[in-house]
Amino acid sequence: MSAQAIDPITLEVIRNALASTADEMALIVMRSAYSPVVRDIMDYSTALCDAKGRVIAQGLTLPIQLCSFPRIMGFVRERYGDRLKQGDVLIANDPYGSGGQHLPDIYILKPIFVDGRLSGFAATVAHHTDLGGIVPGSVAIYATEIQQEGLRLPLLKLYEAGQPVEAVFRILEANTRSPIEVLGDIRAQIAACNVAEEGLRTLIGRYGAQELDSYIDALHDHAEAMMRDVIRALPNGVYRATDYIDGVGENPQPLPIVATVTVADDTIDIDFTGTADQVAASINCPISLPESAAFCAIRCLSQQDIPNCEGYLRPIAVRAPEGCLVNPRYPAACGARGVVGYRVFDAIMQALAQIVPERAMGGSEGGPYLLAAGGTHEGRPFVLNEMVVGTWGARAGKDGIEGISNPAANLSNQPVEMIEADMPVEVLRYGLVPDTGGPGEFRGGLSFIREFRFLAPTRFVLRGDRRDHPPFGFEGGSPGAPSAHILLRADGTEQSLPTMPMESFNARAGDVFRLIGAGGGGYGDALQRDPIRIEDDLREGKVTAAGAARDYGVVFAADGVSIDRDATARRRAALAEART
Amino acid sequence: MAQHSYRIGIDIGGTFTDVVVARDDGLIETRKVPSTPDDYSRGIAQALKALVEDYQTTPDRITGIVHATTVATNAILEYKGARTGLLTTEGFRDVLEMRRLRIPVLYDLQYDKPKPLAARRLRLEARERLAADGSVRIPLSREDVVAAARRFREEGVEAVAISFLHAYANPRHEIEAEEILRAELGDGVYICRGSEILPEIREYERTSTVVVNAYIGPVVRNYASALTARLASIGVTCQVEMMHSGGGIMRLGSAVKRAASLVESGPAAGVIACARLVSGSDEPSIISFDMGGTTAKAALIEHGEPARTTEYEVGAGINLSSKLVKGGGYPIKMPFIDVSEIGAGGGSIVAIDRMNQVSVGPQSAGAYPGPVCYGLGGRQATLTDAFLTLGYINDIALAGGSFPLKADAGRAALNDQVARPLGLDLQQTARGVLTLAVTTMTRAVKAVSTYRGRDPRQATLVAFGGNGPVVAAEVAMALGIRRVIVPRAAGVFSALGLLRSDVEQEFVRPSRRRADELDDAGLEQLFAALGADARRILALEGYDLGQAEFRYAADLRYVGQAYELTVPARRFDIAELSELFHREHERTYGHRSQKDAVHLVNARLTVRLPLVAPRHQFAAEAPMRRADRAVSFNASGSAASIAVIGRADLDAKARRGPFVIEEYDCTCVVGPGQSARLDEAGNIDIALEAA
Repeated sequence: MSAQAIDPITLEVIRNALASTADEMALIVMRSAYSPVVRDIMDYSTALCDAKGRVIAQGLTLPIQLCSFPRIMGFVRERYGDRLKQGDVLIANDPYGSGGQHLPDIYILKPIFVDGRLSGFAATVAHHTDLGGIVPGSVAIYATEIQQEGLRLPLLKLYEAGQPVEAVFRILEANTRSPIEVLGDIRAQIAACNVAEEGLRTLIGRYGAQELDSYIDALHDHAEAMMRDVIRALPNGVYRATDYIDGVGENPQPLPIVATVTVADDTIDIDFTGTADQVAASINCPISLPESAAFCAIRCLSQQDIPNCEGYLRPIAVRAPEGCLVNPRYPAACGARGVVGYRVFDAIMQALAQIVPERAMGGSEGGPYLLAAGGTHEGRPFVLNEMVVGTWGARAGKDGIEGISNPAANLSNQPVEMIEADMPVEVLRYGLVPDTGGPGEFRGGLSFIREFRFLAPTRFVLRGDRRDHPPFGFEGGSPGAPSAHILLRADGTEQSLPTMPMESFNARAGDVFRLIGAGGGGYGDALQRDPIRIEDDLREGKVTAAGAARDYGVVFAADGVSIDRDATARRRAALAEART
Repeated sequence: MAQHSYRIGIDIGGTFTDVVVARDDGLIETRKVPSTPDDYSRGIAQALKALVEDYQTTPDRITGIVHATTVATNAILEYKGARTGLLTTEGFRDVLEMRRLRIPVLYDLQYDKPKPLAARRLRLEARERLAADGSVRIPLSREDVVAAARRFREEGVEAVAISFLHAYANPRHEIEAEEILRAELGDGVYICRGSEILPEIREYERTSTVVVNAYIGPVVRNYASALTARLASIGVTCQVEMMHSGGGIMRLGSAVKRAASLVESGPAAGVIACARLVSGSDEPSIISFDMGGTTAKAALIEHGEPARTTEYEVGAGINLSSKLVKGGGYPIKMPFIDVSEIGAGGGSIVAIDRMNQVSVGPQSAGAYPGPVCYGLGGRQATLTDAFLTLGYINDIALAGGSFPLKADAGRAALNDQVARPLGLDLQQTARGVLTLAVTTMTRAVKAVSTYRGRDPRQATLVAFGGNGPVVAAEVAMALGIRRVIVPRAAGVFSALGLLRSDVEQEFVRPSRRRADELDDAGLEQLFAALGADARRILALEGYDLGQAEFRYAADLRYVGQAYELTVPARRFDIAELSELFHREHERTYGHRSQKDAVHLVNARLTVRLPLVAPRHQFAAEAPMRRADRAVSFNASGSAASIAVIGRADLDAKARRGPFVIEEYDCTCVVGPGQSARLDEAGNIDIALEAA
């Protein structure tokens, strides 16, 4: 830090100004974007970086994307050094050598110059509707190398000194099935960058470039000190946890994700050695995402208001052997890699649950369930991209939440009415499923059900998980209920589809696809659950009478709705006895 | 003897009820009386009785009452609304609970979601289904509705919301269901439906709105009948009107029907007062700045028209207007004046954490126990205690001497709780706290300006509310605003706004057509149908539409976008409308796309019945110079002795700061580098030097 004294109040003022700029960027993207994925599901993120490319503020967007900016900004520094000019805009999506995650996630980055001096970067990433490849939506699990997945954009200039690089625009336009959406969403990302530019310019005008720089350095140092404080409070040790991806295809082989978390004084090291090797399917997860998921999980440890700037990452190291599922080698396909990122979060959360159970959370639904469906209806093509989330695991002292985004995501849901207004798809049901929350003293959140009827011939692909390895419980809590993919043909036949099918399916008009997410993991012994909570769940239809008797060992009074406290205590004692 | 008649504006707050009386010749008088939270109508009746006596008149000379209230908002914040049931399309009763899934804060695994206002067991389903075009796929099952009604009755439900999928496109099933429920449940149960309250696409937002409406409907209905009875008991039988969040007024009956529209009635009144203040002047852009005990609020007024929005989350804590879908509160989609509200008011608590981070709010000591210096039992240092330490406000008493202060206790709290742990001196700390509060309030102003692509530096700040004029000049300085106006009656300005509001109601018809599929005749047909709806409804409510203004507007977006921009439809010219949209898009987001098709999503109509009232005038004030006092303006914390004057001590000639203007209901601080004069209307006009 510079010799200049840092005044804590000015530091707070600057931090607020930066945070509001990052939020403003997020707002601009949402309101002006074209695709349902960005505008309704809100699969995009915004951040502001300093002149060294370090994140200094994050918009209220997706943690699992936000923590990926440090890596791509490293590539920007390496590739462009001090050769960027005012009015340049950079674009990239390539996971190999450019810091991308998978091809649909396009990063738009803009260096910000004030008075001729590089003063910071605006950073955005958004999931685009389609970047080409074998299937609409560019996410085919059965892809085996990245070349099958669509257009790769290494770090390139999209604008050079304020002028559009026409060649890049033409290439983009020619390589997507949805040029209007893709170009519209890119414009929205650029509009957000311009807002950031204005915000930073105003701040520099107020404080001067040098003073602002020293405050930003102080902000990083402050965040680092807070994070070290959090880690120092944890007992030193090596904590290991394994979670699993169910695996791909008809006869899935489980794929372990192993996280070894080493706490040493005020540092944390996370090592993925032991994780499954990369696979011949598109769930390989370039390191950018696992690293981001790891940062995100550790950040959740702190209950304090740590500034969301890069300083807090300094005490955290992440490593993964090359060639494994979380650090694949080129040209491994990675379109559906997201699921691995969420499982990395889960594995680390299980390790943290061994250290500080009071701050951990049981397994969530497992991350977004993808359904990409498309076809032609009345002469017009349509693409439905669904990324469905919805459930939290239990916390110490609190039930899991149902009807909420995965903690690492912060996605939204597409309004049923918007889907039906634009596409030949009818949504038959969207709601909660009773008895699916992992039993525990505090139960996991309930799973969601979402049912689609195709009104026209439709080809679709899927990616789920958490059927063979449902979301974990902890401290004696049970796992949540497994997920399900069911195809109900118009002729009355019913078929269970794999969680990660290595094929696409053809639905006829009238066929129904039923998607049920996994339930959240529970916390603590279910036999300890307060009967008042169980009665409340019964009234609310979140647990059935049969489920309550089975999972919580309760005995009902003669009225069939209230719990007989004494009989329940006796039955629970007997059940506990039988366990030992 | 010729008797005057009186119109009265009443704005109820937590501690005080602000009353503004307008005599038929335009003379204005203001009063502050204690609120009676156990039954607000009692306080109102007492105040009116006192007025009648003071004026030596009779209750029938009160010819109109316009009212703003927080009863609706408080019912939600305190979960004291009705036991509410919800009837939905089969398969969708959980839409209300699943919301839009978003989490308002990152990295917080201990987060708790707001609980649904209709419990799951009171959310029932009926077999029925419409397609997006409104056509019937599955007819409504009457048995299901009857069964639901029985269940609601068994559960003792007091209100029922009906929300079916695609009911915005065809209300038939909802109307049928409503008829059945009414027949089964009787008039005691409050019933409302989505297709009536919000006929717009997006099931969650519509369902949430209609559920909020049902949840507070019975509360508003009871309040309205208590008020009517109480007024009748003292002989006041005039029409009572209520301010809605959109800034217009409506009859009590409409307020009961559209209870959710009362949620921001008080803040809307303040913005309307600002808009009227500048109407007819050449002021193109005004930002209203209203600061009270718990929050600061800002709104943008362009060419005399307040910016509007249709999205609002009640109970979300901090509410930045036009915000992201956050999920921290209960969304209402209705016409709102676009007020951003942030948790920084006089009662905001000043705190430091383990890492010496200082914060001001959003926790508030509120009106009770209030700031430490109020001596009502407050122990935690607040922003008001910092004002006092700096010398910004009188350290002996407020409200014209009627409210004594314990200044030493306030200073000591700030010193012990904040200054000493930080190792700073007291004055420096108070200055820092003020700066921090100003930054927070700046976000509220930015939310209505920079977030919408408007440059605040081009605007004039109009400051009011108990604390607005104390900090307005500093807020202006932080944003590069050059001019601040502090109007007459600034401390009760919202109540004044009630008397300056027109009757105003908004009507919507969905269109969902592409601009290139519509010709001018089609457009005219759409708007004509909307106009006919409006005439029918308003005539039914007993309004004479002779003087009514009809203002048409359209919500447009590029095909593929999900959020519309609203542009005025002065003529039914589809090409002009499209061009206006392109321009607004460029202004808001910095780009336009001439290539992409434009969607006309909704036709809108605002009907305004202009208020016929004499020009308001205030009684003359006497100059009231007080003793100079020490005020600290600079970062080093040193204080200088400066003048304390009354409004009447100012004149048309600019007086250079620093000085303080003290009034009965508020204090206005004019700092160094600023000067102030009085304009012809009696407003304080503060000029800031360019930084």
